[in-house]
Amino acid sequence: MASMAKRKQKIKEPKIEITWKEIKRQKVLLIWSAAIVLYGIIFYYLPLGGWIMAFQNYRPKDGLFHSQFVGLAKFQQLFSDATFLRVIRNTLSMGVINLVVTFVMAIVFAILLNEIKSNGGKKVVQTISYLPHFLSWIIVTGILHDALSGTGIVNELLLKFGILDQPLNFFAHPKYFWPIVAFANVWKETGWNAIIYLSAITAIDPSLYEAASMDGAGRWSKIRYVTLPGIKPTIIILLLMNVGNVLNAGFEIQYLLGNGLVQSVSQTIDIYVLKWGISQNDFAIGTAAGIFKSLVSIVLIVIANMIAKRSGEERLF
Amino acid sequence: MKAKKLAALLLTAAVAAGTLAGCGGDSTQADSNDVAGVEGTGGDSAGSNGEMKHFTAFFAVPGSEINDDNEIMLKIGELTGAICKETWLTGQTAQEAVGTLIAGGEYPDFIDGGDGAAQLYEAGALIPLDDYIDQYPNIKEYLTEEEWDKLRQDDGHIYWIQQFGNIYGEEKATTHNDEAFWIQTRVLEWAGYPEVHTMDQYFDLIESYQEANPTMEDGMENIPYTILCDDWRYFCLENAPQFLDGYPNDGSVIVDPDTLKVIDYNTTPTAKRYFQKLNEEYQKGIVDPESFTQTYDEYIAKLSTGRVLGMIDQWWDFAYNVNDALKQQGLDKQGCNYVPLPITIEEGIKNQWHNSGGVLNVSSGLAITTSCEDVEGALAFVDALLGQEVHDLRYWGIEGVDYEVDENGEFYKTEEMRMNASDTAYKASHMCSYSYFPNYSGTSRDNINAMSPQFQPKEFYDALSEDVQKCFEAYGAETYVDMLGTSEAPGAWYPMYSFSSNMTTATEGGMAWAKMDEIKHEYLPKVVMASDFESAWEEYMGVYEGCNPQAFLDEMQEELDRRMEAAEKYK
Repeated sequence: MASMAKRKQKIKEPKIEITWKEIKRQKVLLIWSAAIVLYGIIFYYLPLGGWIMAFQNYRPKDGLFHSQFVGLAKFQQLFSDATFLRVIRNTLSMGVINLVVTFVMAIVFAILLNEIKSNGGKKVVQTISYLPHFLSWIIVTGILHDALSGTGIVNELLLKFGILDQPLNFFAHPKYFWPIVAFANVWKETGWNAIIYLSAITAIDPSLYEAASMDGAGRWSKIRYVTLPGIKPTIIILLLMNVGNVLNAGFEIQYLLGNGLVQSVSQTIDIYVLKWGISQNDFAIGTAAGIFKSLVSIVLIVIANMIAKRSGEERLF
Repeated sequence: MKAKKLAALLLTAAVAAGTLAGCGGDSTQADSNDVAGVEGTGGDSAGSNGEMKHFTAFFAVPGSEINDDNEIMLKIGELTGAICKETWLTGQTAQEAVGTLIAGGEYPDFIDGGDGAAQLYEAGALIPLDDYIDQYPNIKEYLTEEEWDKLRQDDGHIYWIQQFGNIYGEEKATTHNDEAFWIQTRVLEWAGYPEVHTMDQYFDLIESYQEANPTMEDGMENIPYTILCDDWRYFCLENAPQFLDGYPNDGSVIVDPDTLKVIDYNTTPTAKRYFQKLNEEYQKGIVDPESFTQTYDEYIAKLSTGRVLGMIDQWWDFAYNVNDALKQQGLDKQGCNYVPLPITIEEGIKNQWHNSGGVLNVSSGLAITTSCEDVEGALAFVDALLGQEVHDLRYWGIEGVDYEVDENGEFYKTEEMRMNASDTAYKASHMCSYSYFPNYSGTSRDNINAMSPQFQPKEFYDALSEDVQKCFEAYGAETYVDMLGTSEAPGAWYPMYSFSSNMTTATEGGMAWAKMDEIKHEYLPKVVMASDFESAWEEYMGVYEGCNPQAFLDEMQEELDRRMEAAEKYK
């Protein structure tokens, strides 16, 4: 793998000297990139100024400049709150479960789809499978609520097959909540996530498959020794990007599916921010929770990137 | 050429960067004016001077939006020169919606923050109204000096006008708009209209009915008792112990009228008995197993099928949707309408489910925000809405279309008009009550009619479905209120919820209140569902004490004392 990195360096174009002529030549590109940098500053960096709130006893009336400065008091309050600690646990757990399940399912699905010989059938399956991606969570949770209710189709089937003898109220038991969320994520996103793997698979040189066939490889061996290694770079890059998203375990689905009985496992950091920050008018505590979330995300992504670098795989930076 | 354009674009972007928000605001303003122009020339909405003012309003309570070309809205527009586009809470709590508005910093012209009203005040989003009130006779007349004073915030200004509970002239009490144990008339009819006074009798009745009639006429299974527990609406589970002990709806505490001390209703022996009873009924299968996981929409859908025999709820929370649905499906003929029962924990306690006299909930009301550019125009609109002609339009509708007038000047409706008034599509395209603007109940300025049809005794009674009429007759009642009996408003402090609903975590008591609310959402359902009630109750009480409820009670006591002192002035 080290050789691959070296090869890459070799391909690098020779350095271009920055001259007025060169700048003029790249005028349009420069203007566009300036626009994007400006966009980044306005929408990503300026709002970071709001982080000051986390260190203040912020009151909207007084604004950022006249609110009382309280140092790390809000963070202390945050970490001494048992609810917040529980919320971190929920977010992390659901984030990891979702990441693993949706990730694996998307790859498996892409590979299986690729094995379908009939082109028409493949297209139909693919289209149907990524349609749920375009449904909003409110619709998905509505469907789930109906399907899993006491008189819903799931209970009806379980009763018919004699697995249960009376309807089970899935949403009343904390132990079912995470699996339901994971299932919903898989159902909604598998088809969509598989697209990128499918395109990566198409990019694999067909002669490799031919060669494998010559060597007597069956279907399984081809998947194992050609397809999987072929899409490995895509897998690693997407995994890295998703690791940074683990704490974005979701808001809508937990907010919409949650209820009092399962709130100890359903609430995520985002819901905490809404509940104890925005709706209690305590923007400081909401901001503090948000900062914590961002920091953890950055740390996670750096660690994941380092591991990838160590093992000589593709990486983000 | 291209490059120049791009550079120009970039330059504009850079210059505009600082004032981006402002620009955005302006352009939307222009847009809405354009729309106004188009509508204005559309014919029937053109005001006399051709300039229709357009206001926006957000109410942090659930409601139905009406169509943009709503007939009565346009007619009121002709009379007042203004139209207001109302939007409502959907799928959030009031505090979340208001918090989001504050974070964004842009508001509609009018707002009722509901439980989030104090946040708006804290954020400096509202305009003080005291200097304006005297200029508008109808607004001035709307509340008494004492009531206006009650609305003053701690900085001495008035920021909102409470819209409800204001009785003009003689009170005409017909509907019990508040909380009660409700039961379908078919259950009472089947049992021969028995007297039901306690919780035990109530559930015995439901149980025996369910045993004899497990299904509806069309074979659908009955749901004997359901509990709405969706988010802030969990009061249907939570606050019954105060009523069961014979106290009125102070909402967050009981106030002992003799000693003027607050009592926590969560920990009273009655509370325990109430939840234990629910637990027993849950184990027996009488309480709907989906109670604690259903959403509000699912609950309303359930009630609309007529399957649910009984529940606790506030009338306003279910009746406007459910009664119309039952009527449209003809289920009222099967006795699926709900009537309230005067239930307490023991026989012989005087119930206070219903209180006579208006309740001034000072915690929220109609306010005007700092985003409103025409405060005087906005207040003139409110003033005009309180005039009798417009008020009749809002609540009665158009003469000859929505109501008729008999030779004595009394308003009445035909059966077809009533049917229309219960049709959602018709309501959206025709009726416009501006219901969260100040309004009156009681008697109209003509001294004949009620301010709205539901308070007109004859019209109210004629509009009732047969099953409810029969039921009332059996109990010697003429109105829903008669079913419960009525009590005077308990005292100057009433209601205490107008203080607790505006608490935030900024104070120790507010923090305790928020925590109590949080854990009750989890433990009350658990207690009801537990296989071992005693240990579940003990666990709940342990967690409950951990929330420091005493801090909350102390602040409530302080407020109670303050209110009693303030009331002294007017004695």
